[in-house]
Amino acid sequence: MKRRFRIYYPFVNAGMQQVTTYRVDWIFYLLGNVVHSLVSFFIWQAVFLSGSEETLNGFTMPQMIVYFFLIFISDTMITSDASMMIAEEVRDGSIAMRMLRPVGYNATFLFFELGGKLLTQIVLIVPVVIGVEISRFVLSGVVQFSVLNLLLFFVSTILAYLINLFFSICFGFLAFVIKHIWGTNIMKNCIVSFCSGAMVPLSFMPDALKTVFMLLPFASLNYTPVMIYMGVYQGADLLFYFGLQIFWALFFWALSKLLAMVSAKHLTVQGG
Amino acid sequence: MRYIRSLAHFIGRLVRIHRIFVAQEIKRMVEYKADFFIGMIGFLMVQCSNLLMLWIIFNSIPTLMGWSLPEVVFIYGFSLIPKGLDHLLYDNLWMVGSTIVSKGEFDKYLTRPINTLAHVLFEKLQVDAIGELVMGIALICSVLPQISVEWSFGKILLGLVSMFFSTYIFTGVKTLTASVSFWRKRSSNIITLGYKFANFTKYPATIYNEFIKNLITYIIPFAFTSYYPSVYILTGDNPLFNVGVTVLVSVLVMGSGVIVWHLGLRAYESAGS
Amino acid sequence: MIEVANLRKEFKKTIKEPGLKGSLKSLFHPQSEQVVAVDNISFHVPKGEILGFIGPNGAGKSTVIKMLTGILTPTSGKCTINGQNPVVNRKNYVKEIGVVFGQRTQLWWDLPLRETYGVLKEIYEVDDKSYRERMAFLNETLDLDSFISRPVRTLSLGQRMRADIAASLLHSPKVLFLDEPTIGLDVVVKDNIRRAIEQINSQEQTTVILTTHDLADIEQLADRIVMIDKGKNVFDGSVRTLKSRYGQMRELNFVTESPHPAETLRYREQFHFAEDDVSVECEGTAVKVRFNSAVVPIADMLSYTLQTVQVSDISVKDADIEEIIRRLYMQGVE
Repeated sequence: MKRRFRIYYPFVNAGMQQVTTYRVDWIFYLLGNVVHSLVSFFIWQAVFLSGSEETLNGFTMPQMIVYFFLIFISDTMITSDASMMIAEEVRDGSIAMRMLRPVGYNATFLFFELGGKLLTQIVLIVPVVIGVEISRFVLSGVVQFSVLNLLLFFVSTILAYLINLFFSICFGFLAFVIKHIWGTNIMKNCIVSFCSGAMVPLSFMPDALKTVFMLLPFASLNYTPVMIYMGVYQGADLLFYFGLQIFWALFFWALSKLLAMVSAKHLTVQGG
Repeated sequence: MRYIRSLAHFIGRLVRIHRIFVAQEIKRMVEYKADFFIGMIGFLMVQCSNLLMLWIIFNSIPTLMGWSLPEVVFIYGFSLIPKGLDHLLYDNLWMVGSTIVSKGEFDKYLTRPINTLAHVLFEKLQVDAIGELVMGIALICSVLPQISVEWSFGKILLGLVSMFFSTYIFTGVKTLTASVSFWRKRSSNIITLGYKFANFTKYPATIYNEFIKNLITYIIPFAFTSYYPSVYILTGDNPLFNVGVTVLVSVLVMGSGVIVWHLGLRAYESAGS
Repeated sequence: MIEVANLRKEFKKTIKEPGLKGSLKSLFHPQSEQVVAVDNISFHVPKGEILGFIGPNGAGKSTVIKMLTGILTPTSGKCTINGQNPVVNRKNYVKEIGVVFGQRTQLWWDLPLRETYGVLKEIYEVDDKSYRERMAFLNETLDLDSFISRPVRTLSLGQRMRADIAASLLHSPKVLFLDEPTIGLDVVVKDNIRRAIEQINSQEQTTVILTTHDLADIEQLADRIVMIDKGKNVFDGSVRTLKSRYGQMRELNFVTESPHPAETLRYREQFHFAEDDVSVECEGTAVKVRFNSAVVPIADMLSYTLQTVQVSDISVKDADIEEIIRRLYMQGVE
C-alpha cells in the first residue's frame, strides 16, 4: 500500500502543479461553476416565490439552497476528462502504448485528476458549507449541520467520481466506432447532468422516470451524495445507496477493463 | 477621403477573405458530414434538457414571478438566436483560449498579412450551432399563437436589428475573455465564465434580485441579448432603451474586445524555447 | 538586408514548488522570476546569403527567429529587415517574408493540398498570372504534383515539409525563415529539401535564415554561421573560420585485435589530456579516438598507439563540423 502510494504520489503532485500553473484559469473555472449554481439558485428561488406552498415536491426553500450548492460541489468533484483523452488516444493510435506501461495507466490518470481535485475541494468546501449552513440557520432557525453527514458526503462523492471516471473511460472507447466524439461527448454530459439531478431534483420528475434514474448509475453521481449530506438517507437506505454506488463503480471498472482488452485485440488485428 | 478609401479597401478585403474561409469550411464539412450532424444533435439535446426543466418547473407553478410559460419560452427562444449565430460564425475564439495560444499555434496568424482577429474569427464555421438556431426559431414560432403581440413592420425590423447586434455582445465578450490568454497563456475557463453569465439571460431578468439584474445589465450586459429586446417585442415598451441601448452596448463591447485583443498581441509570448 | 542590433528578450517565469503545501503557497502567493532568453544579440545578413543559425536546445534560437518574424515583441534592441521593423507594420512586413516552422504546419489539415495554395493566394493577394507561374516553379523545384490532390493529413512528413516550404514561398518573399526544416526526415528526403533550398536561394537571391540541429544542413547550405548559447552571441563567421579557429580536433581510426584497447591505451593518463580533449569509442575491433592536436601532436599519438597495441589499417582525419560544435556546446566559448 505504502509502495503503491509512493508510485502514484508524483501524479497527485503533477495534478496540483497543473492547477497552480494555470492558476488564474483555474480560479475562473471555480467562479464559472459558482455562477452556474447561482443561476440555478435564482431560478428555483423564483419558483418558490411564485408558488403558494411552503414545500414543493418535498423540498423547502432552505433545502433547495442546500441542494443546489452541494450539487455544485459534487459536480466539480465528479468531472473527468477521461473520455476526451481516451478518444484522442484512439484517434492518434497511442492507445496501444497504454497497454504497455508498467504502471496502471488508468490509475496514474486517476491520481493526476485527484491531485487537482484535492486543491479544488480544499478551497471550495469550507466556504460553501459554511455559507449553506448559515443561510439554512437564518431561514429555518435550527442548526442542522452534521459532521458525520459531511464525511459520508465526501466518501460518496469520491465513489461518484470513480463511477464517472470509469464510465468516461468506457465512453472514450466509442471513438473506435464514432469519429466525432466531441459532439457525442456533449450529448453524454447533457444526459448525465439532467438524469443525475444536477438540473432538476429527481423528486420533481414523474415517478416512473425518477425510479429509473435512481437505479441507473445517474443518481449515484450527484443526487445520492447530496441526499446523504441532507440526511435524507438513513440506516438501511444509506447502506443500499452506498452499495449501489459501489456496484456501479465496479461495473464500469470491469467494463472499462473489458473494452480495453477488446480494443487491444482490435489493434493487433489491424496491426497497430 | 484617403482614410475612407483605405477603410473601404480594408472592409472589402475582410469580406473577401471571409467568403474564402467559409468556402473552405463548407468543403471540410462535406467530408465529415456525420460528425457535424452528431454535433448538431448534441446541442439540440442540451436545449431540450433545458426546456424539459422549464416544463417541469411550470408543472408545479402557474407563472414564474408573473411570467407565463409562453413568455418565458419566447425569451428563451430569442436568446438562442444571437447565441447560435455567434456560435456558428465565431466559435474559433474558444480555441484561442484553450489551445491556440498555449501551444504557440498563434504564431501562424502573426505571419499572415491579415488582421489576426479577423483571421481567427473567420477561419472556422461551427455547424453544431445550427441545433441552437433551429431550436430558437422553433420555440419562437411555437409560442406565437399563445402570446398577444401587436405585430408591425417596424417591430419585426427592430427585432431583427437587435438580434444582429446582440450577436456581437456574445462575440465581444468572447473576444475580451479570449484575449486574456495572451497574458495568461490559457483562458478557456474565463471564456466559460463569461458564457455562464449568459445563462442568466435565458430567463426574464425580473426573477433575479437587484444586484444580479444590474450586473447583467451594466457590467456583463448579456441582458441585452434577449431580455430587453424581448420585452420590447412582447410589450412594445420603450424601444429607445430596449433596442437602442442594445445596439450601443453591442458596439461598446465588441469595440473594447478589438482594442484589448490588439493590446494582447504585444504580450503574446509564443511557446517553447 | 537584415540588421539585428542589441536584441534582448525577457520572459517572466513562475517558480513552482512541489507538494500540497507548495501548491497552496503558489496558488495564493505566486513567485516569479525574470528570465533572459535573448541577451544583446547583434548580427547582419546581406542579401542572398544563407545564414545558419545554431545553438544548443534552449539557447534562444527560436526566440530570435520569432522576433525577426514579428511574432514576438523584443524587450529592447532593434531588428530591421529590408528597412522594416517587424512589429511596427506587421501586415506589410510579413508579405515580404516566408516562414516555415518544421514542427508545425500552416497547411489546411483536412483539405486537399491544392486548397491551401488557393487560400494563401487570396491571403497574400497574389494575382492569377503570377500565381500560375509561381506554382509551376514550385512544382518543378519541390515536385508537388504527385500529391497536390491529396488531403494534407494523408501526406508523409517529407511531402508535408515540401508542401509547407512551397506555401511559404508562394508570395515570392525576399527573406525565408526556416526553423528546423529537416527535422524527423530520412536522409534522402533531407537531401532533396536541401537541394530545393539551394536552388531557390541561387535563382531568386532569396535571403535564408536557417536554424537546425542537423549540422549537415549547415555544411551543405550555410555561407555563414551565427551561433548563440544561453541567449548570447558566441560565434559569427564562415564555416571555414569556425573550423580553423576551433578545429584542432583530429580523429584517429584504427583496427586492432587486442582485447580492451581503451584500457590498455589509457591516453588520458599517458598524455595528461583534459576531460574534453580526448574520447575513445570502440566498435568490435574498430577504435575511434578523438583528440585535441593542440595538446598532443599527431605524430606522438600515432607512434604511441602503434607501440602499445597491435594495429592494422590506421588513419587520421580532420574532425567534422559536428565535432567542433559539440565541443563548443559543451564548454562554451571563451
